[in-house]
Amino acid sequence: MDIQYKLRLLAIMIVGLVLVACGGESDQPVSDSGIDITQEVLDFYAANPELITFATIDDLPDDLFWEEGLNQPEIGSPEATKGGTYYELLDDFPPTLRTVGPDSNSSARSWIQGYYGLTYAMPHPDTNEFIPGIAESWAIDPGRKSVFVKINPEARWSDGEPITADDALFAVFFYYSDYIQAPFSTNYYKTEYTNVTKYDDYTFSMSVPKVKPDMASRVLQVAPVPQHFYKELGEDYPERYQWRYEPHAGAYTINADEINMGVNIVLERLEDWWAKDNKYYQYRFNTDRIVLNVVRDQAKRLEAFRRGDSDILRIATAEIWYDSLPNDDPDVTGGYIHKQTFYNQGPRSNWGLWINSSRPFLDNQDVRLGIQYAANWDLVISNYFRGDPERLKTQNDGYPEFSHPTLTARPFDIDLALEHFAKAGFVDRGPDSILVNADGQRLAFTLSTIYDRFTDVFTILKEEAIKAGLELRIEMMDGASGFRKALEKQHEIFFVSFSPAMEMYPRMWEYFHSANAYDQAFMEDGSVNPERKAKPQTNNLQSIAILELDAMVDEYQDSDDKERMIELAHRIMEMHHDYASFSPGWVQPYYRSAHWRWVRWPEGYNYKYTTDPHELFVHWIDVDMKQDTEVAQREGRSFEPSIKIYDQYR
Amino acid sequence: MQLRLNPQTIKKLRRFRKIKRGYYSFIILCVFLLLCLFAELLINNKALIVSYAGELHFPTYTAFHPGTDFGLDYPYETNYKELKQHFADTESGNWVLLPLVPYSPFENDASSGIFRPEAPNAGTRHFLGTDTTSRDILARLFYGTRIALIFSLGFMASVYLIGVMVGCAMGYFGGLFDIISQRLVEIWSNIPFLYMVIIVFSVIPDTFTVPTRILILLTVMVLFSWTSMTYYMRTETYKEKVRDYVAAARIIGASNVRIVFKHILPNVLATLVTFMPFTIVSAISAITALDFLGFGLPPPTPSLGELLKQGTQTLRTAPWIVMSAFGTLVVLLTLVTFIGEAIRESFDPKKFTVYK
Repeated sequence: MDIQYKLRLLAIMIVGLVLVACGGESDQPVSDSGIDITQEVLDFYAANPELITFATIDDLPDDLFWEEGLNQPEIGSPEATKGGTYYELLDDFPPTLRTVGPDSNSSARSWIQGYYGLTYAMPHPDTNEFIPGIAESWAIDPGRKSVFVKINPEARWSDGEPITADDALFAVFFYYSDYIQAPFSTNYYKTEYTNVTKYDDYTFSMSVPKVKPDMASRVLQVAPVPQHFYKELGEDYPERYQWRYEPHAGAYTINADEINMGVNIVLERLEDWWAKDNKYYQYRFNTDRIVLNVVRDQAKRLEAFRRGDSDILRIATAEIWYDSLPNDDPDVTGGYIHKQTFYNQGPRSNWGLWINSSRPFLDNQDVRLGIQYAANWDLVISNYFRGDPERLKTQNDGYPEFSHPTLTARPFDIDLALEHFAKAGFVDRGPDSILVNADGQRLAFTLSTIYDRFTDVFTILKEEAIKAGLELRIEMMDGASGFRKALEKQHEIFFVSFSPAMEMYPRMWEYFHSANAYDQAFMEDGSVNPERKAKPQTNNLQSIAILELDAMVDEYQDSDDKERMIELAHRIMEMHHDYASFSPGWVQPYYRSAHWRWVRWPEGYNYKYTTDPHELFVHWIDVDMKQDTEVAQREGRSFEPSIKIYDQYR
Repeated sequence: MQLRLNPQTIKKLRRFRKIKRGYYSFIILCVFLLLCLFAELLINNKALIVSYAGELHFPTYTAFHPGTDFGLDYPYETNYKELKQHFADTESGNWVLLPLVPYSPFENDASSGIFRPEAPNAGTRHFLGTDTTSRDILARLFYGTRIALIFSLGFMASVYLIGVMVGCAMGYFGGLFDIISQRLVEIWSNIPFLYMVIIVFSVIPDTFTVPTRILILLTVMVLFSWTSMTYYMRTETYKEKVRDYVAAARIIGASNVRIVFKHILPNVLATLVTFMPFTIVSAISAITALDFLGFGLPPPTPSLGELLKQGTQTLRTAPWIVMSAFGTLVVLLTLVTFIGEAIRESFDPKKFTVYK
């Protein structure tokens, strides 16, 4: 009996222990831990007087030309009404609510401040001129290499605290610190800014190391960082701030306590947002709530949209546009679902074949030229993408003035391809119709890629290249190992696109300078260093190292003269075209979407420099129309169908 | 090693023939395998015979013929469908004999000029329709199934070779060797196979050809699958080892190798044979699953898994893709399972034993 009792006691204890162990952490936000970083910030300021300067308002230069940016056209429609709930779909749940640090650059990042957070000033989506954000006015002073900013005294963080110049200073501390574990951002701050000076609570200036034509955007298109929120910044930043929502100056906020992990996120509009009457914001940010549901599979997202679980669907492929949701679909002909194509402007994604010119045979210009003529992008565009996209012309398309005006990609031409391959010694065809040289080596290269959604494109290119005697071996890789291979310059041909940011001019040094191709590309006398080694972890995936090009890129990098930079940009692209290490693929000069009838848009649908229909929040939900549509759908009553092409910016 | 069929085995085979379902499945599968070996003659975009300028050409198995060989103006592989049309138009007395399905599994053939799935159409000889880039589904299924079948046969042979050898050795020698090998097998069988495939595939050089890659995939799968066979072989060998005939063989001085292969192995064959079809089923499922997940054979290699994946993405717009792939898989796995059941039944020793 005794033993049995003890055993039972033991069993109860074990069960109890297991239950305690399984309890785990609570999901509540981390409570106030007593950590206070204020003194550390002050010490940092004191230790870096060159970087952080405290001045008085009397020190502010009086020859400044202050701009307020109030002469641009309004954005949105005066017809817009506030209210309603807007439903959207996410491809994946964000791994964190942080905006910087590990895992923060997820596909859902746009919805965590990305679309609606304000910077000091932003370019107008039609004219590309600055309009005010957090700043009330600003002054650009190339002589002092500085931009002066006056913060709008009305400006409030989304938690109600005022935004001051101290938050602008704190941004420097924040991005300089190792706590945030964001080496790219840290490096950017360390190289792009030389000084921040506070004049009074709302006035500060930021200085840049080099005067460039777009120096204003370097200062105005960044946001301050809320010092009061990051009071507990420390070594444990990634965990401590994992699910805390950073306050910002924008119109929507996420209540971190109400996040439904893995399922959805709800954004709520700030009722008395400080900028709600601003000229450029009064007709935007109209819906009261934005519900973002996670649906990971493309096919399921389409079905969810058709069920009405989402108000809008971005349509990325021709297959969905023409086959899955065709114009003669009952929901489209009934006028319940509207479809549109919107032609936009701005730097283009450069999908194409990035040929590594340091690899055997690919270092021969004739082989590269042959590959250019053997890549049948025209067939891919006309028969697979159904003729809607256009052929990409160069690596840097879509920059007003800076893109080359006349260069075009080389067409598919078997005779020219064979001619160039023959010059490189590949004359005869082997038994499988692939060219071989005198040593019996086959003309075969590996086409590596991480984009399995474009598998069909690669198989078409492969089949067509065989006609020109070229074999392309397709290598599908997962994201991490594929990029590692390319960045270590182990690839032969890599298919990728470096989606460019909305900047005034394209970046050249990263892609074309020999310093990013080899450790020491040239000898003292300018001749090629025979023992040079490929330099890993750079974007020069084509291993371009041309002395003459280096000189142009260097000058482009240092120039503050826009006209000269444009001239150099064109010459760099010409030389790049001749070097033939990039086979331009396709470009979509438009975006497509479908939405339910109750989502209303301004006249003209959207703005010139947008890439997503909802990014400016100019749409609104017509609640009555939604009810009416749902009733009509049940009764079989139909409306005027709407399939529109907006080509005003084509 | 020579296995003489003893009367027992002959009786079992006869019993197998009597189980009609399994027997006919076996015949159907054999015929299909035979057809697969000559797939190039049935489904191919290369002509069987071309009669040009009084000479006969047989392009199926020979080196490629550029268009210029037959009076066309291009230097790449002749398009024989167009050549046939060309000969018919010019009425030159030349002719082309095409296979029954004149498409290769890699060729995009879109009647509308746009690469998209097209429904089955006997007129264009796309008997099962086309896939998302207008490739003939029948051709892709046929070649894909061929790879899967050859792969699974190779898989079965390798797994049995290793499993039988190790299992027999463990059972026959016993003692410390048995204990140590058993522990090793246990540890080895706990390594997750899928992760190993992913890891191995991320490090093998890309210059390897498709057959080499298939061979590597096979090797990896075999390396992590042979262990389950050893358990059965070990127990069976243990059982047989203590029988009188083994003792007799040992007394007359037979070597260990001779005893294992000549005496024990034929007697445990029944256990082995019953497992074979199910090993094939699991191999076909495994390679299909790997392709479905994108870790199998590199594109554009035709495969059942790749077609299934396409099919699930186009369920609404092109149901014939998923139906073809799924149907083939069901038929194939059902046939093999029927054969397996029949074998098990006919090799069942309880058949003529009645316990009261």
